[in-house]
Amino acid sequence: MRSFITNLGRSVGKVVGVLYQAGRESIDQVLKNILPFMAFIALVIGIILYTGIGDWIANLIAPLAGSLVGMLIISIICAIPILSPLLGPGAVIAQVVGTLLGSTLIANGSIPARYALPALFAINPQVGCDFIPVGLALGEAEPETVEIGVPAVLFSRMITGPIAVVLAYLASFGLYPGY
Amino acid sequence: MLDGLVWLAEHFIGMFQQGGQVFTSLVTGIVPLLIILLTGVNALVVLIGTERIERVGEWAARDGLIFYPIRYLVFPVLAVFFLTNPMAYTMGRFLPEKYKPAFYDAAVSYVHPPLGIFPHINPGELFVWLGIATGIETLGLSVVPLAVRYLLIGMVVIFIRGIVTERITAIMWAREGTKTAAAATA
Repeated sequence: MRSFITNLGRSVGKVVGVLYQAGRESIDQVLKNILPFMAFIALVIGIILYTGIGDWIANLIAPLAGSLVGMLIISIICAIPILSPLLGPGAVIAQVVGTLLGSTLIANGSIPARYALPALFAINPQVGCDFIPVGLALGEAEPETVEIGVPAVLFSRMITGPIAVVLAYLASFGLYPGY
Repeated sequence: MLDGLVWLAEHFIGMFQQGGQVFTSLVTGIVPLLIILLTGVNALVVLIGTERIERVGEWAARDGLIFYPIRYLVFPVLAVFFLTNPMAYTMGRFLPEKYKPAFYDAAVSYVHPPLGIFPHINPGELFVWLGIATGIETLGLSVVPLAVRYLLIGMVVIFIRGIVTERITAIMWAREGTKTAAAATA
């Protein structure tokens, strides 16, 4: 009887400890990563909305982001091996472009709402292209693997980046009808 | 002259006030949900334990056509969900050298698609998803259908990326091999 209570107490203590630590980690993540980026994005969006540049930008990129061909062009450009490692770090460019697309083109209906799905892939073919050597090193890859792996991933993305946009475009049928 | 300065000052402050409004809506609208979701998933991940995922790694390392979905679909998805960006790529250590670039490609391509439902995977880069999702919300629509399709199509995309990168790696590796053999005999 006594050991049952001890074990029960121990298990409950462990679960409470895990939950408490999870709470600490999530507050930490929000404070360190999310709130700073929200401040940055809010600043950018605030300026865009207040000055009306948003409409100007929307008219400029609507032809590109409003059609499958346009989004394919965006993804091909972002996947070019010289550009993709430069566009990758911190996903800053992807986040800013995503916010721009969302707050201008999608929010005021310049492009159909369902184009949000291919757009999510069109702005992000460069994901991880700046991090390949580190990512492979995390996987304990040998130098020869990294030497071959970096160009392999970069060239593969030139093919699979646009493919992702096409697949997403096909999958977007039936999403948000009427918008 | 004074009127001009007042105009400038008003509009200067106006820009930042607008930013403040956007910030308020982001913080009150998203941060509470994010905190609770992050807490829940962080706790779940610890309780389930990452050792179980390592066992999948040994399974994923095997040669053979049947293991492709394990190696470039199941394993990256589990690695990314349980270890998040960037620790998920450490799971590559269970794979042979020839599969590591392809695993990295598949895993890194999956740190964004699940973010609509599982933001704990990459909270530092949340706005790739959230930027576009906020636009949808402005239209008054629910982002959940978009989030689900993003998550599912993401799986298809990483599977294709894994296979393509594995093939390209193999071709480049073979070419390296013939080059060094030719250099040795020359």
